[in-house]
Formats: sequence, C-alpha cells, structure tokens
Amino acid sequence: MKLPLKWLKDHVEYKVSHQEFANRMLLRGFEVAEIIPEMKATGVVVCTIDSIEQHPNAERLRVCSVDIGKRDANDQKLNITIVTNAQNVKEKDQVPVALDGAVLADGMVIHPTKMRGVESQGMFCGGAELGIGDAEYPGAGNDSVLILNERYENGDKIETALDLEDVIFDIELTPNRTDCQSILGLCREAASALGQKFIEPEIKHIEGIGDASEYAEVDVFNPQLCPRYLARVVTDLKVEPSPHWMQLRLKLAGLRPINNIVDITNFVLLEYGHPMHAFDLACITDGHIVVRNAGTGETVTTLDGKEREVTNDMLLIADPTKGVGIAGVMGGLNSEITENTKVTLFESAVFLPENIRHTTRKLRHSTDSSARFCKGVEPVNAEKAIERAIELVHELGAGKVVGGLIDTCEEKLEPRIVYADIAHVNAILNTELSGERMAELLESINIPVIVEGEKLKIEVPHFRTDIESGLETDQDIAEEVGRLYGYDNIAPTLMNGDTFQGKLGESFAREDEVKDLMAAMGFMELYNYNFTSPQEYDALLLPAGDEKRKTVRLRNPFGEDQSLMRTTLIGGMLRTLRLNANRKSGHGRFFELGNVHFNNNAELPEERRMLSIVCTGANESFYTLKGVIEQLFSVLGAKKLRFERGGGEYLHPGQKAHILLEGERVGELGGVHPKVLKSFELSAAAYIAEIDFFKLLSHLEAVRKFKPLPKFPLVPRDLAIIVDESTEAQDITDAIAGAKTAAIVENVRVFDVFRPSVPGEKGIPGGKKSMAFRFELRSDDHTLNDEEINRTVNQILKALKFKLDAELRS
Amino acid sequence: MLEELAKIREEALKRLESIETEAELTELNVNILGRNGALTGILRGMSKLSPDERAAMGKEANEVKQSLTAAFDEVKALLEAKAEEERIKAETIDVTLPGVIDVPAGKLSPLTLVYRQIRDALIGLGFTTYEGPEIELDDNNFTKLNLPLNHPSRDMQDTFYVDDKVLLRTHTSACEARALMTLEPPFRLVIPGRCFRVDEPDASHSPIFMQMEGLVVDRNLTFADLKGTIDTFVKAVFGESVKTRLRPSYFPFTEPSAEVDISCTICGGRGCSSCKGTGWMEIMGCGMTNPHEIENCGLDPREWKGMAFGVGVDRVACLKYGINDIRLLYEGDARFLRQL
Repeated sequence: MKLPLKWLKDHVEYKVSHQEFANRMLLRGFEVAEIIPEMKATGVVVCTIDSIEQHPNAERLRVCSVDIGKRDANDQKLNITIVTNAQNVKEKDQVPVALDGAVLADGMVIHPTKMRGVESQGMFCGGAELGIGDAEYPGAGNDSVLILNERYENGDKIETALDLEDVIFDIELTPNRTDCQSILGLCREAASALGQKFIEPEIKHIEGIGDASEYAEVDVFNPQLCPRYLARVVTDLKVEPSPHWMQLRLKLAGLRPINNIVDITNFVLLEYGHPMHAFDLACITDGHIVVRNAGTGETVTTLDGKEREVTNDMLLIADPTKGVGIAGVMGGLNSEITENTKVTLFESAVFLPENIRHTTRKLRHSTDSSARFCKGVEPVNAEKAIERAIELVHELGAGKVVGGLIDTCEEKLEPRIVYADIAHVNAILNTELSGERMAELLESINIPVIVEGEKLKIEVPHFRTDIESGLETDQDIAEEVGRLYGYDNIAPTLMNGDTFQGKLGESFAREDEVKDLMAAMGFMELYNYNFTSPQEYDALLLPAGDEKRKTVRLRNPFGEDQSLMRTTLIGGMLRTLRLNANRKSGHGRFFELGNVHFNNNAELPEERRMLSIVCTGANESFYTLKGVIEQLFSVLGAKKLRFERGGGEYLHPGQKAHILLEGERVGELGGVHPKVLKSFELSAAAYIAEIDFFKLLSHLEAVRKFKPLPKFPLVPRDLAIIVDESTEAQDITDAIAGAKTAAIVENVRVFDVFRPSVPGEKGIPGGKKSMAFRFELRSDDHTLNDEEINRTVNQILKALKFKLDAELRS
Repeated sequence: MLEELAKIREEALKRLESIETEAELTELNVNILGRNGALTGILRGMSKLSPDERAAMGKEANEVKQSLTAAFDEVKALLEAKAEEERIKAETIDVTLPGVIDVPAGKLSPLTLVYRQIRDALIGLGFTTYEGPEIELDDNNFTKLNLPLNHPSRDMQDTFYVDDKVLLRTHTSACEARALMTLEPPFRLVIPGRCFRVDEPDASHSPIFMQMEGLVVDRNLTFADLKGTIDTFVKAVFGESVKTRLRPSYFPFTEPSAEVDISCTICGGRGCSSCKGTGWMEIMGCGMTNPHEIENCGLDPREWKGMAFGVGVDRVACLKYGINDIRLLYEGDARFLRQL
C-alpha cells in the first residue's frame, strides 16, 4: 500500500525524518519497503531565460543565457549558457534546468557538453525528464520543455518550487490488517507512531433532493454472498477532469486520474479502503439492479473491453435483462460512465471474500477492487465510503445529489464489546502494565477502552475485524498492547517451570553418525530435489509393476519432468554424478540421506528414509563400494552382515548384491547397468548402493559390550584349494563356519582367485579354479600346539571337501 | 718385541689415515686386533717371557691396544657421520611437490552443518528432536494451525498439492499439530525437515528448502521467554556479538507474532548492501501459539500455552557462509561443497 506523505500530512503532523518514521512504523508491524521521492529527478533548478540567440553552426539549435539566481560580488548576474533544440521556449520564460551532476528520472546523468562548438552547461527539462505528469503539475504531461506557469525564485530546487519534495512510503501490510489497506487506516497507525491521536475526518452527510427510489431499486438474490449493498443516485452529472489536489493524490498513490466520477470512486477506494463502482443509470434497464449468480453460458464484457465467460458460482451485478458487472471484480462496459452520462448510481457493497477469491482465480483476473474484497471489507466502512463519495460529488460540483440511501442490510450494526483479562495480557507479555496504561495504548489507535476491575471493556471499532470475540481476545489485545508498548521494551527471560533434559533422538544421533562416517570415508553430502520425471523410471530400467513405480504424482508441478515424488535416490545421485563429471569437479564419491515416498493408497503416502552411496573413478570398483559399506556397518555395529547375488534392474547383472542384516534385506549395491550409464550420459563406470535407513537401524547393536582381548597367540594360516568355477567366497566362509574344529577359527578372507587360462594349467583342471584364503586360529585358554593346529586345518579341509568338493592345491 | 709393537702401532695409524670405507676399517681392525691379528699375536707370544719382561711388555701392549681401539672408534664415527650425511643428501626431496592422498576428503553439506548448530543450541536449552512427514494432510499443514480453507493467509503460501487433502508441507509447523495431538505436555521440541513451496528456483528461491521449527508447550510461557530463547540460540549460531530484534508481524498460528531480525552479519549493523543499509537481516518468524491451534489439537488453551518459531536453514546457511545463490545448496557441485 502506497502512503503519500502529502496525504499523511493532511491528517497528521509530521516532524521526523523519513528514516525515523519508517523505523517507528516497522517496530509497530508496518514495514516500509521503499521510500520513493515524489520527484525522481535530482539536481534540477528553476531558471529564467534572459536571452535567446540562434546557434552559429546549427539551424535547429538555440543558445540561451540563463539566470539561475547566481550573482557576483557586485551583484551582477552570473548567467550560464544552455544550448537547446526546444522550440517552445521564449525569452523571460521560467523553465527547469538540469545542472552539472543532475540525475534525470530515467537515471541519465547530465554533464556540460559541447554542442556543435558551443558548450551547454546543462539541459532544459520537461515532465518526462523530471518524472512527472499533468497530475503533479499542469502542463508537465506535454512532450516538451516545461514552461512554469507561476513565478518562482531562480535557483530554487525544482522539487521545492513545485511542492514535490515529499516522498511516498510503500508499506507492506500483514493480511490481518485489512483496515490498513486505506490511507486513513495507515494514518491512524502513523499518528500513534508519531505520538499523536488520530482524528478521523467527519463526513458531511449530503441530504440531497428527492428520493433515490424514484430512480433505482436494488434486489440481492443471494445475501450470503452479498451481505450489504448500498446505493445513491446523482443526477445532472458534469463529467470532467477532477481538481488538481485529487489528481495529485491519486497519482502519488499509484492510480491514474480519469474523470471526476471515476476519480471519486478511486479516491474513496484509497482513502477508506472500500471499493466502489459508478454505473450510468441510463444503461440499467428500469434502473433495477439485481445481484444474482450468473446463469449458464452468460458472458460479461468488462470495462477493459474483454468479454468474459461467467459461471453460476460467480456473483453478477445485473439488471433485469443483462449483466452489468462482475461483483467485486470489474464493472461492465455496457454501463460505463462516459462524457454523456447524466444520471449515475454509486454502488458500495460487501461481498464474501471467499467468493471473490474464487471468481478472480477462475477468471485469472484481479483488480485493485477485487484484491480488497478478497482480503475482506466490512459493512460500516461501506456506508462511510458511499457517504464520502457523495460528499465529494457535492464538493466538486459534479452533479445534483438525490436524497435517500438504498441499503439492503436490515441488521443493525452495533459495535462489538469484548473483555480482556488484564492479568492474562500481562502474563502473555511478561509485563506489569496497569489496566489504565493498556487503555491508554489502545486509545492511541482509536480503540475505546474502559477499565472495569480486572478486565478491559473494549468497544471494538468496526474496522478492527481482526480482533476476535472469544478464545483469542486476550491474545489479540496482548498483541496490540505489546506492539504499542514496544517489543523492545519487553526484557528477554529464559523459560522456567519444569526442568527439561534436552535429547538428541536415537535416529537423529544415528544420522549424525552415518553422515560423519561417510564424510570420513571421502563422500560428499548431497541434498537432491525430491521431484523427478516419469522418464527417469524408464531410464532406470524398472519393469512395469516395480515397487519404485508406485509414485506420488503432484497436481500442480513445475512441469511433467518434475511431476513425481521420488521413490528412490538413485536418479538424483546419477544426475549429480553427471553434473560433477561435466564440470570436472574432481570428485567421485557422494552420498545422500533423504526421504522417498510410495503411493500405497493410504491416507498419506509411505515415507522411507534411504541412504544412497555412489562412487566413480579410476580406483573405484564394486569392491571399493562394498568395502565402504562393510566399514560403515562395522562401525555402526550392524549385526550379521551378508551379501547375496541379486538386486534391481538398474544394476549391472553380473555385479550386484543384496545387503542383508540378520537375514533381512536392507539394501543393495552394484555396478550401474551399462544401459543406465548411457541414459544418464555417464561415460565412466559407476557403483551405487541404496540402503533403507530405518531397516538398518533395526539391526544395530543397541549396547556394545567389551570382550576381553585374546590372551594366547594367534596362528595365521593360508590355504589354497581347487573348487568348481561356480564356488564363491561366501561358500568357503560358510563351510568353515559350519565345521567343528579343535581350535577357534576366525577372520576367514579369500585373498586370491586363479583361473587356468588353459585346462590343466598349474595342475588345475578345466571348469575349476583355485581360491586362496587366510584365516587365524587361536584358543581362549592355552597356546595352540602343532598337533591341534594340524588337526584344525584337516577339519577345515574335510569340511570344504564335503561341502564344496574342494581339493587342497598342492 | 717392543720394536714390533711400535711398528704395529705406527703402521696401523698410517693405514688409518687412508681408510675411506667402513669395510676397510673392519678389515684393518681384524688384521690387528682380531683373533689372528698382529697385536693379538704379540700378546699371545708373551707367555714365553719372564715375569718382569711380561709385566713391562703387557703394560706397553695394553697401551697400544687402547690407543689403537680409540683411533679405530674415532675413524668409525667419522665414517658413519659421512655415510649419514650422504644418505640424507641422497634422500633430499622437493617438499613443494604436491602431497599424495588415497581418497580425497568428504564433506557434509552446509545445510547439515547449520542444522546441527541450531539443533545443538536448542538441545542445550532442553529441546528434544522430533519430526513429521514431508507429504502431509492439508488439515495438519493449514486447518489445525488456524488457517481454515478460505483463510486469506493461504494466499501467502503457494502449495504443491497431491490431491484435495494431501500436500507437500509448506512449513515444519505442520508437525506442531502432530506433536500437540500425540505428545503429553509439557514439552520442548526442535523439528527439522524439508519443506516445499511453488517458487521457481532462482538465486534466492528454491521450491525445496530446509526449515527448523521450535515448539514449546508449557503452563507458564511468556513472550519474554520467546525473546530469551531466540536470543540465546541466535548467539549460539552467529556469535555472541550478534543482536536480535523482534518486531510485530502476523502469522495465523501465533499471537502475538513477530519477525526476528539479527544485526547484519556482513557489516555488523552499520548498514551495507546486504542489509539494504538497515543494519538488520530478517531470519525467521515466531510467536506465542494461537489458542485456537492448541484447542484444535485437543489441548485446553486455558491450561497450556505454546510458543513457536521457524527458521530457514537455507537462509541461515547463506548468511553465515556468504552464499549468494541458494541453488548451490541443492546442486551437489563438489567444488562448492569442498569450500565449506
């Protein structure tokens, strides 16, 4: 909302700096977003053209000697020279001149310039250069140098001379303060901020002659959507430009002056914040206004010349034969005020905000009026608005006022009385203000209060619709008292009451642990977007019916390619990998811990938290990624980790494995399928894992217990065996784990696999391979002797022979 | 025999002068002092002498042995020092060549770093972590928070919808409803999470952002407590010298409501381009929980008071690290992550 200082000064004494004013408003909840000068140009002064001569070298240029009010020691004029191509200036004219260093409205900076051999020490200005039009100064709208039509002091700043040195405050409003969508509402707050009491101007009721009912009648068919409709009639209309003071105020507040009648409605819109409309009554059949829902297939051509289809959920202003306006949005072209309008009907109505909001959305059309209706208007202000409009008609001599106010509201509008508990208000704010002090603060913004014992009896002004009667009253009043007293004046305290032990929840602590471990192992953390495209699931080769295709679809996405909520982190990881490869960022290890969502037809989608780990680069392989997972799980204390061949379609068929903890699949890892690499435009091999975070948490050792360190020495042993080509490392580990042995066998790890290039090479037949593994033997209670060691090795070999048909490689 | 001794000593000392390697020294040592060495031979021959001669000879021979041993040790020490010097010379490297690392360091996102700082500061004030779903019921995100279907404030939030009743939560305040409905008061919660709004991404907007909600429900809470709590955690995150300012604002779910400004982290409050010359930067909204919300969620607003604040982790990260484009936080460029 724009608050021109000139308009503020009509109602409030203003003696502080603009910055100070802005700051005081801010601390009351009204942020001044911008302080806009009335005159955008700077460095322009008034001058008199003393003489004009033809330019010696240019036919279209003239050289002027200009008095800018400078005198030397002997009081002789120190004129400057201006070269101009303006044809409308003559000697003795007073005009604005931009001097060296002046900045024009469009940002152009003026410096002395030689024009065809003669130096011009500045430039004459017109309205465009100053950034003003006719509303600010008559004649400024012409496309030529502005010839001033009054006498001013030479050398005076032009903004001072033209009385345009005030500013306009652009104030941001919170949606609860609908009353401040008006100059008077803002003046009320401003007065209080400046330590004054705002006195609302009295509207002079114009009685008029005759009765409006002779000219018009109003029927509201849907009073729920239109609780009040007020109308007055004016005859013998003289449609002409409005006076300068009105035009200037409209212009400063951001509206374009049109004619006196439209300007009056706009002026009232700004002043009281209530939208109005004026109809040409000659265009309303039988003078009969009907407020009704639109019919099927109906259209209305609005003032902007657009034909709009209206539907039966929208409210129309109509006459018995046609629509003449869309309620709360825009009037109809068919009943517009023109130069020839003789009789007009002023409308001031209250429409239901929800309905107007719905209509503007559906029509995709909003106006200054509809914006106010959407936020909410109230019936008392509606009456003030129409009375003020009629007063202005009378004051401007724009027509003859007809007596009688048409009003569809039968309800008597009494002020609401609410009671606030003084002690509770103090308790909310932690203040010790007396009821009288609170009353004083509230009175400063025209809220009448009487202290009645422990309560404040408050007569809620009609414009403060935000102050509730009921549960919220004490809070509403506390907010008002608090902001008027000053939030800064409330000393901060620390909460008392029960002592609380702050706690980092188990899963939050585990998240920290996982993230720290991942970073320690060289992985960078990602926060990828949750949005993905249907094509991405094809790119990941997911078959129809795959669980990951049970996606949640957004109703209003940015586009089809961001229309789904992800069910897997994989796509985002691969896209980030590509970004880093393209930008040659020099890093190939990333992880993300984030949520995915599955559409399971329940009230809310199923949310799972996934940990995805990806790596790419010359030294990376399936085994480096597997090593990372083993290390992570080991530090976290994951129980019974195993890997089994298998996994999603996006993984390399020969390099993928399920990750199991205590027999439950908690995730998978593998090389990225070559086709997927291609779809994601990745040239190098990549390895990726995705792990269900909460499943992982369910398999962690809750409490770690110390086991005594072995007291007796370990005996390491290596063995190489010949097995079938299909035998895997896990088979050997499992076979040994299942064997009964004399000594304890630990840390079995396959460290070499040899396949003969031709059958029989190094004694290994075709279809077989050699696997070498290392293990450690020990006892809990003595040092192993050779016999026990040999017996254990033989037991191992026997088990391997039995389970895997393995032969010791000689 | 005395002449022989003198000769051995003279020759040995002469040889020592020309020795250059430890091997030569060892050989000389063996030849003279070794089991079959010249001096050892003389000592061995002494048994044939008379006791008097033997005593005189023995004394002389021991002196020669000691002086030669000392001479040998001296030369040995010299040779060792020389060898060490040569080795060090041979092993001298260009220390300005780049270091070698197996795996380059990983990094946590600035979002995680800031989230942890705020969280830990609040845990210190007795808060406990809590969370709720990213895809929420409209009821929890809006209606329960005193934003009925046609509330004008819904215009402030452009929301991604899944259907009429389900949406992507627009603020972590949505979790307030869940906490109020399910937890036994009093409690103090810190609620982090992703939120979503229909904002086309640009330098200062992201459709996805990280928020943290603080929610306290207790019997005697005041606006002064809210000020004190916010002041404490702002200092924990931005440093002791940072000032906090609350100014009146409006949120449907709090009353009184306030915006929180902190003294500009760039200029320290003097006024600069980052704070548009005001010396202050807006970081979050807060207020005393609206009694309607408490009632909507099944608690008695006469008994239970609430206070809440919601801080944008992204915004704080940008302010704290001087990040000028919020999109960097979600892009995953390693060159960005490496810096912070």
